[in-house]
Amino acid sequence: MAKQILQCTVNGEPVEVLVQPYVTLLDALREDLGLTGPKEGCGTGDCGACTVHVDGKVVASCLMLAMQARGRKVRTIEGLGGVETLHPLQDAFVRHGVPQCGFCIPGVLMAAAALLEENPRPSEEQIRYGIAGNLCRCTGYTKMVTAISEAAGMLASQRSAR
Amino acid sequence: MSTMKTTRDVKGVGVAIPRPDGPEKVTGRVQYVGDIKPKGLLHAKLLRSPHAHAKIVSIDTSAARALPGVRAVLTAKDIPHLKKKAPTRAHAVLAIDRAVFMGQPVAAVAADEPSIAEEALDLIKVEYQVLPASIDPLKAMQPGAPPVADAGTEADTSEALAHSAVAIAKSEAPAKAVNISQQARLQRGDVAKGFAESDHVLEKTYRVPMVHQGYLEPHAVLAEWDRNGLLTLWASTQGSFNTRSEVSDVLGIPENQIRVIPVECGGGFGGKIRALCEPITAVLAKVTGRPVRYVMTRREELIAGMPAPQVIIRLKTGVKRDGTLMAIDAETIIDSGAFSGAVLAVSAVFIGSMYKWPSFDLRGFEVLTHKPSVAAYRAPVAPQTIFAIESHMEQIARDLGLDPVEFRMRHLIQEGDPMVNGQPWQSNGAKQVLARIAEHPHWKTRKQWVAAGKDGRRRGVGLALGGWLGGLQPTGATVRLNPDGSLAVLTGQVDIAGTNIALAQIAASAYGVDTDQVRITTGDTDVAPMTGLSAGSKTIYTVGAAVLQAAEDARRQTFEIAAKELEASIHDLELVDGKLTVRGMPDKGITLATIGKKGNLYMSKTPPVLGKANPAFSQQAPGFAAQLARLEVDPDTGEVTIHDFVVVQDVGKAINPIGVEGQMQGGAVQSLGIALTEGLLFDDSGRLTNPSLLDYRKLTAADLPNLETIIVEVPSPAGPFGARGVGEPPIIPAPAAIANAIQDATGARLTELPMSPERIALALVNGTH
Amino acid sequence: MRRFDLVLPNSLEDCLKILAERGTQAKLVAGGTDLLPQMKNGVLRPAVVVDLSGIARVRRVDNGNGLRIGAAVTARELEVSPALRGPYLAIAESAAMVGSLQVRNLATVGGNLCNAAPSADMAPPLVALEAQAVIAGPGGERRVPMADFFTGVRQTVLAPNEMLVELVVPAPGAHSGGQYLRHTPRRELDIAVVGVASQLTLADGRCTRARIALASVAPTPVRATAAERSLEGQAVTPEAIERAAALAIEAARPISDQRGSAEFRKHLVRVLTRRTLTTALARASA
Repeated sequence: MAKQILQCTVNGEPVEVLVQPYVTLLDALREDLGLTGPKEGCGTGDCGACTVHVDGKVVASCLMLAMQARGRKVRTIEGLGGVETLHPLQDAFVRHGVPQCGFCIPGVLMAAAALLEENPRPSEEQIRYGIAGNLCRCTGYTKMVTAISEAAGMLASQRSAR
Repeated sequence: MSTMKTTRDVKGVGVAIPRPDGPEKVTGRVQYVGDIKPKGLLHAKLLRSPHAHAKIVSIDTSAARALPGVRAVLTAKDIPHLKKKAPTRAHAVLAIDRAVFMGQPVAAVAADEPSIAEEALDLIKVEYQVLPASIDPLKAMQPGAPPVADAGTEADTSEALAHSAVAIAKSEAPAKAVNISQQARLQRGDVAKGFAESDHVLEKTYRVPMVHQGYLEPHAVLAEWDRNGLLTLWASTQGSFNTRSEVSDVLGIPENQIRVIPVECGGGFGGKIRALCEPITAVLAKVTGRPVRYVMTRREELIAGMPAPQVIIRLKTGVKRDGTLMAIDAETIIDSGAFSGAVLAVSAVFIGSMYKWPSFDLRGFEVLTHKPSVAAYRAPVAPQTIFAIESHMEQIARDLGLDPVEFRMRHLIQEGDPMVNGQPWQSNGAKQVLARIAEHPHWKTRKQWVAAGKDGRRRGVGLALGGWLGGLQPTGATVRLNPDGSLAVLTGQVDIAGTNIALAQIAASAYGVDTDQVRITTGDTDVAPMTGLSAGSKTIYTVGAAVLQAAEDARRQTFEIAAKELEASIHDLELVDGKLTVRGMPDKGITLATIGKKGNLYMSKTPPVLGKANPAFSQQAPGFAAQLARLEVDPDTGEVTIHDFVVVQDVGKAINPIGVEGQMQGGAVQSLGIALTEGLLFDDSGRLTNPSLLDYRKLTAADLPNLETIIVEVPSPAGPFGARGVGEPPIIPAPAAIANAIQDATGARLTELPMSPERIALALVNGTH
Repeated sequence: MRRFDLVLPNSLEDCLKILAERGTQAKLVAGGTDLLPQMKNGVLRPAVVVDLSGIARVRRVDNGNGLRIGAAVTARELEVSPALRGPYLAIAESAAMVGSLQVRNLATVGGNLCNAAPSADMAPPLVALEAQAVIAGPGGERRVPMADFFTGVRQTVLAPNEMLVELVVPAPGAHSGGQYLRHTPRRELDIAVVGVASQLTLADGRCTRARIALASVAPTPVRATAAERSLEGQAVTPEAIERAAALAIEAARPISDQRGSAEFRKHLVRVLTRRTLTTALARASA
């Protein structure tokens, strides 16, 4: 089995890397591209810890073969927020003391970011469904919902300030 | 957008400061074991027994060894140091001649890629002779049941007892049946007479299956040896010193030759308090001469982790018509899996010690079965025990027409009352917590709320109270003054609950600086003072006390140096904003930075300030929690919707309220999972029928409302600033609270967990209670 | 996962050529949401995996004349598709229930059907709407009614050298409405303990066609034909619905497993049939 060339865009940068055909997108991001933010919590699409964006949509990267990302745009937690600055969601999570063990957090933030891009003013129920594909065992979700709601407000006022 | 900055008015204890590792976690930069990738890394996989009980006749690894990319294939024969009879699960590195649970490791592979390692497992040929298995604990307890432990194996309960710090009288009668590995009995008075004099006798059996702790990060360890024979383990663990000791004992390596580095732990909750994969990974690393990493798959975690035990409690109570308690009789059976390790004592204590029973007969049995052996899941055995007693008390109140809170309050223990083991209850907030939750509007308006149910949904409100005695473990800490006047605190405590910020707040408050001047370092086993598990709700209580004492020691040293420099008395000095001045003479002072620099200068006569403490503890600080649920039941499908959930908890002193709330909410949701959806379901052959997160159901954000938290502070006599342990009480009350709410909604009393929609719907259809 | 060869065809013709040569050792992958978990568990061990993500033909949704859904259309696309309103709403509802959003953005209707788990959510509405499966093979294309597509647990009529290309859903006529409901212990990330799709078509206040399809109560999705017959030609009154709901149980032959007992499943068939028929009636009458 020869390696194949995966060409795609990751966090805004063009990428060309050799991957084994039998590895998942999650494996390729973590092992071949050094982006260890997305995590493997279950490997079967049942926990959301591996959530990344592909062409703007949240996907379980443990269920995609790496080569299925060819020609597509991938965004991981490392691409959320800037080098010096945090995305409003990240900032809200920090201030509300959301992360405990932290393992689910990259996936939750990617799910929340996609939610807010599609629905800038989500209700509490919509927020809960927006992250329902992300299991967290430490926090019980309450502070996450508060933080996401606050970040939505911040993003909305940023937009109207422009 | 601004990054989080500590505000200038931050002081110390009691302030809601977000954890300082937040920015690293929200940017995905924190490293877990699976993220560390040294050069030459090999990947380990384990071949596991497909039978619950079988003799291993032969293993042929030749084809596996021949697969290109495979660097090592091991069976027990290749590890001569292994004890023939493994006293603990950790010692059963690879099964020697018998597999005692489905999923027990039988062979190990290290390969260049995980896929190659997987294929190598397929090529290992094992011949098994299947043996009869003991799966159901009630059958396993009987004489003649297929034996689980090798004859002569001790039931190793040392860690289990340390975790709970409960003293209990061991039963005099020897075990009659071969799979009863621990038993105990506590009695007082004449229960038969008590029952005879009762007007209301209630007898029920409560059942809780094994549940998995559900941490998102599976067990993971990276092992590497250096040329001097030093083993380094990067481990996802709740206790690096414990891991070191276990690996030392299992593999026969001196502790000084092992360094355990506790990497960020993606959740433990008691599932990572024991060594599991570290020994085999260490051996693979030795044999290959390369770093080897083993990360369990989720499937392996569910099949062969270390879950919470299955518990069956037969409970019988007798009370008088006016609610006077007469007698309680309980038999608790704890299914510990293939190795002993359940905290048997806890159940007996809590079943009989929450309320004042004049006579009691409490029997407990730990039973071994051919299933994966257990560890703890926060407050081991307490959620199951409180499920029984709090459901039972509610039922008694309901039957007698008594107010459920008044009935509990009337009989609830307080400080000084004897527990069933004769020891007096330490100061605790049980009454305050119960009173506080009863004041909540959701409780006061429950009848109106229930009556407003519509669309055929049935509403109910229920509550329950539970507690945890609080763990104790000796520990140490150091506090060092830096040349710039900041403080460096060193402990060995793995920070899994956000305790580091709280420790920083304690150090800051005790020494006299702001929290942002303090940095906590969690040292590995080479550099840190001895410390125990991050478990047992004892981190703040014990490590916090050590940090407090070390900070006070450092403060004393600092003041002594300043007194000498300023030629003043210690008692005339005050420390404000990083400077020690003589009271009333603001110009006569010396900064902490100056003192710190002097302690580090060539030829200086000023010693470096190094505060130290290494306390041991004897006084526990129980923590109580009460939880209330308002829920709706769809009577046709049995689906439950939780509208509101309140957690009230006595934490003694909330060192960091954000952290405390997080623990209360997280523990409560774990408790709700035990109540409603979770259970490891084994079939009659000992095979796990739900080895994936699709069928092992943890609650999602869509299944839950916002959880309301109410912090109560009844200071503990010995805890730092009066603090008590926080981590365990919140996992305890929800199953009983939910059961009580479901009964309020539907009339059905469920006594088996989880209270799934099926159980609720069929209870209504069949009219069974 | 164990190792395998990966082939990336750019057209349906290329894909069929590969299947003709290596179909017996190959598995098609679109979303991977059923395939990859089974490969990771070792249940499936294909030597070759064929990726469908480069094939345009199987990704379209079209409702010009009746409804055509490409096999590789994702559950999320179906969930939000404006083409799946009105009488086709039950298809969108079933798609909305699959797993989680992270799964729905990958999972395809074709994958859901070809994996052919008894619990496949998108099967019952397609059966109830009398969809046809368009199957491409070496000899061209053939059509199979959805109700005949499934032959057993994880088995379909597909030969190793064939692939599902499209679903064709005939327009059910004016005054038709349907709903899909399922019971799961959790609100997300879950799998149907029982699923029911009901589709009612009305004329002059009477039911001209009733279709009720059940998931997770037999090795394949099944139609509750006795219940259907009890409704056709009648006014759909609450009593008629109750009668049909009771009759629907006859079509169910559920097993008892760790997801649910046979007793509970039969009970749910009745409850969910009653509820979906009630909603289908309201939607058909609107």
